[in-house]
Amino acid sequence: MTTPTAEPSTAAPRPRGQRRPLDELSLAVDAAALAVASTGDPDWLAQDRAAAFHSWASLPGESNLLYTPYIDLRAARLDAARLAPRPATSSPAANLPTDADGLLETVEGIVTGAALSAEAAAAGVRLTTFAELLAADPAHARTLLEGVGSLPGTDKFAQLTRALWAQAVVLDIPAGVRLVRPVIIRWRLGASDRALLTRTLVHLGEGAEASLVEEFVEESAEGPGTGQSFFAGTMEVSLERAASLTVASLQELPDHLVAFQHRHAEIGEDASLHWAMAQLGGRLVRSRVDNRLAGDRSSVEQVEIVFGSDEQLFDLTSYTTHIGRDTTGDLLSKGALLDRARSYMKGLITIDKSAVGTDSFLGEFGMNLSKSTRSVAIPSLEIDQPDCRRAAHSSSVGPIDETQLFYLESRGIPPDEARKFIVLGFLEPVVARVPLASAQGRLRELLEAKWATGVGGGAKVAA
Amino acid sequence: MTATRDIVTDQRDQFAFHDDIVYLRETKRGITRETVEEISRFKDEPEWMLQFRLRAYDHFVQRSMPTWADGLDRIDFDKIVYYRKPSEREEKSWDDVPEQIKATFERLGIPEAERKFLAGVGAQYDSEVVYHSVREELSKIGVVFMGTDQALKEYPDIFRKYFGTVVPPEDNKFAALNSAVWSGGSFVYVPKGVEVPLPLQAYFRINGENTGQFERTLIVVDEGAKVHYIEGCTAPIYATDSLHAAVVEVIALPDSKVRYTTIQNWSNDVYNLVTKRAHAYERSTVEWIDANTGSRKTVKFPAIYLRGEGATADIISVAVAGRGQHQDTGAKAIHLAPNTRSRIVSKSVSKDGGRATYRGQLKVAPGATNVVASVRCDALMLDDESRSDTYPYIDIQEDDTTMSHEATVGKVSADQVFYLMSRGLTENEATNLIVQGFLEVFTKELPMEYAIEFNRLVKLEMEGSLG
Repeated sequence: MTTPTAEPSTAAPRPRGQRRPLDELSLAVDAAALAVASTGDPDWLAQDRAAAFHSWASLPGESNLLYTPYIDLRAARLDAARLAPRPATSSPAANLPTDADGLLETVEGIVTGAALSAEAAAAGVRLTTFAELLAADPAHARTLLEGVGSLPGTDKFAQLTRALWAQAVVLDIPAGVRLVRPVIIRWRLGASDRALLTRTLVHLGEGAEASLVEEFVEESAEGPGTGQSFFAGTMEVSLERAASLTVASLQELPDHLVAFQHRHAEIGEDASLHWAMAQLGGRLVRSRVDNRLAGDRSSVEQVEIVFGSDEQLFDLTSYTTHIGRDTTGDLLSKGALLDRARSYMKGLITIDKSAVGTDSFLGEFGMNLSKSTRSVAIPSLEIDQPDCRRAAHSSSVGPIDETQLFYLESRGIPPDEARKFIVLGFLEPVVARVPLASAQGRLRELLEAKWATGVGGGAKVAA
Repeated sequence: MTATRDIVTDQRDQFAFHDDIVYLRETKRGITRETVEEISRFKDEPEWMLQFRLRAYDHFVQRSMPTWADGLDRIDFDKIVYYRKPSEREEKSWDDVPEQIKATFERLGIPEAERKFLAGVGAQYDSEVVYHSVREELSKIGVVFMGTDQALKEYPDIFRKYFGTVVPPEDNKFAALNSAVWSGGSFVYVPKGVEVPLPLQAYFRINGENTGQFERTLIVVDEGAKVHYIEGCTAPIYATDSLHAAVVEVIALPDSKVRYTTIQNWSNDVYNLVTKRAHAYERSTVEWIDANTGSRKTVKFPAIYLRGEGATADIISVAVAGRGQHQDTGAKAIHLAPNTRSRIVSKSVSKDGGRATYRGQLKVAPGATNVVASVRCDALMLDDESRSDTYPYIDIQEDDTTMSHEATVGKVSADQVFYLMSRGLTENEATNLIVQGFLEVFTKELPMEYAIEFNRLVKLEMEGSLG
C-alpha cells in the first residue's frame, strides 16, 4: 500500500473574485485526518481507508460526464468545519418502542441507546456499532465491510466517506429470520462547524425479511462554532437469495446542514428491495443510490420525494443496473419546490447484455410551485439488451392541475386548502410506504408544516 | 435465412463512386493561421470576414475536444485538406456545368423530370457551389438562393447582419473550425410576406479522399414569409476518415415559417459533426426534419431558440445506426419567451453492433411563462449486439410550464413479424416493413420523391442485418 499523496483541498487561499468551481467541496481534509481516522484500526481496515483516500484525492467531484454541469456545491461553506472524533464503542441500553423490533439512536455519531426485541435477539439479529462487531467477530465484520454491497469506486465523496468515517453501524439479519416490526436507526445531528462521516451496513441472509426506518433529525446541541456542518452517510445493503428489505428514510435535518448520502444495494437472486425516501431538510443535499440487480428475478422499487423551500438544493442521482435475467426495476422520483428551491434529478438505467427479460421503468416528476424554482430532470437509459419486458422512462413538470383544483373547489374546499391537498397528494406515494405508523404520521406532519411555512412565509403558489 | 427479394438488393454501388476531378486549387494538408489566411485570400474576401475566420481559428486551437462524445480523438486534423476548389467559376446554367460533374449527379439518381420542378438547385461538389440555377419566378418574387460565398459578395449588408449571430465561433470546437475554414453552403433570403411555392433543394457531395467539407448555410426568412429547404447527402466510400463539420444558421423573423429537411447518408468513414441552430421570433414556426443513416459518427442536435412570444418549434429526428456506426443525435428546444411551444420526436434504430444515442435538451428559462413542451423518444434495437442510449436533459425554471417526456426502448415484436409472415412476406420483408412503419412519423413529412428515396435507404441499411 502506497502512502497517499493527496493535496489538501484547501491548499491555497483563492484569489479575490475567482469563483469556486461547481464541484469543489469547501471542506478541509488532509492526510493527518486520515491518520486520525485510522487510529486503532486493524491493518486491513487502515489500508481500505488509505486506498479510499487516494481515490478521493484523484477523482473529480462528478465523474459521470453526463452529469458534470449538474453539480453545485457552492452553497456549502465548510471551511470552518472540523472532523468529528471517533466515538467510544459502548452502546448504552435504550427503551424499545412497542411497535419496533430494534432501535439504534445516535447523537452526533455517538450511540446514545440501542435495543433489540427479545425475539430478534434470540434469532441472532445484530444491531450494533461496527467497532463492537469487530471486537466480537472480526472475520464477519470484515466480510460485511468489504462485501459486495460496497461503495462506488468512481464517486469522489463516497470514497471520502469510506476513508474518513468516524462511526459505522450494522444491521445483520441471519438467514430465514423474518422481523415483523421495523428496526429504527436514528441519527441526531446539528452541531455547527462539524463534519461527521458515517456508514450503515445492512446484510440480510437467505430468505430473511426486515424493514428499516432511517431518520435524520435535528439535535439542538451547540457546536464548536456557528457555521454550517457536514454530514456524509452511507447505507450499504446486501441481500442474499430471496431476502426482502424495506427501507424508509426520513431526512428532516436543519437548514445549516450539508448532507451527502450514498446508498448502494447488491440484490441477489429472487431478492427484493423497497426504498421509500423523503428529502425535506438541509441546505444542500446530494444523494446517490446504486441498485445492482445481480441475481435472476431480483427486483427493486424506489420511491423518492423532495419537498424544497428557501434556497435548498437537492441533487439526487440514481443508478440502476440490470445484470441478472428477468429483473425488475421500478423507480419514481417526485419533487415539489417552493421559493427559490432547486432539484436536480438524475437517473440512469443500464441494461447489461446478460439482463434478458428486464422490466425497467424510471419516472421523474416535478411541480414548480413558485417562479424562482428550478427543476432539472435527466432520466437516462443505456441499453445493451433489447429482449426486455419493458424499458421506458417518463418525466413531466407542470403546475397544479387546474381540473383537480376545480373539482376540489366544487366540493366546497377553499382554494388554499385544495392546493395543499393536491401537493401533499403528489408526495403521498412515499408517505404510504413508510412501514412504521409513528414515522408515517411524523412525515405527514412535516410535509404539512413545510407547506404552511412555505406558503404562509410568503411563497406565492401558482395555480 | 429465407430468400430475399429485390426489395433488399444492395444498391450501395449506386452511392459509392467518385470521379477523378482535377483540383485546380487546394490548400496544404492541416490547419494553420496561414491556411485560414490563404482561404480568405483565394476567395478575395472583405477584411471583416478574414478577421472573423482568424478569431474562430484562435478559438479552435485553444478549445479542448468535447469529452462527452467519445471517439472524436481519432480525427487527425493534420491530414485534412481544408479548402479545395473544383472549378474556377460559379456556373450559371446547367449546360455550363462540366460533364464530369454532371455525370456524378446523374449517378445520384436525380430524375430529369424532377429537375424542372426544382425551385433552385445549389449542388455542392466538394468545397464550392459549382452549379446554381434560380428559377425566374423566384428572382421575381425577390427570393435569394445562392452559394454562401457568392452571397457574401452580392448581398454584403444582409449577410454581415446575420452571419455568425446564431452560431458564434465560440459555440463549440467544430463550429469554431467551420467558422475558420468555411466554404460553400447555401444562402437563402426570403423577403417579407413571400411564400416560396416549392422546396429549395441542395445536393451535397463530398468527393476526394480526406477532403473536409465545411459548408456554411445561412437562411433568413423575413416577416410573414414561408420556405421549405431540403438537403440530402451521399458520399463516396473511402478507407480513411473524412470530416464534415457544417454550421447551419436559421433566422425566422416574426410570423414566418421555416422547415429544414435533411437526409444524411454520408459514407461510413465520415465524421459528421454539425451545429444546426435556429432563432425563432414572435409567432414564427421552425421545423427541423432530420434523418441520419450514414457516417461513422454523427454528432448533431438541431436546436431551436424560441426567442419571441408565441413561437413554435417542431423537431423530428431519426437515426439508423448499423455496423461500426454511432449516431449521437437529438434535439434542443430552448424556451426564452412566453407562450412558446415545442415538440420533439426522436426515433432511432440500432443494429449489427451499431449505437444510437438520443441526447436532447429542453430548457425553460426564467420569464418564459406558459410554455408547453413535449419530448418523445423511441428506440428500436434489432439485435443484442447493438446499443441504445437516451440522455434527455430537462431544465425547467418557471412555475407554469407544462412539460412531458416519454421514452421507450424495445425490439421488433415477434408477433408482428409472425403476422406479416403469415400473410406471405419473408422474415426480412416483414422486419423491413415494421422498421419503415416505426420511422413513418419522419417519412410522412417528406416530399414524395424523398420519402421513396429514404425508404430505399432504410432497406439498403437493413440489408444484411437480418438472419
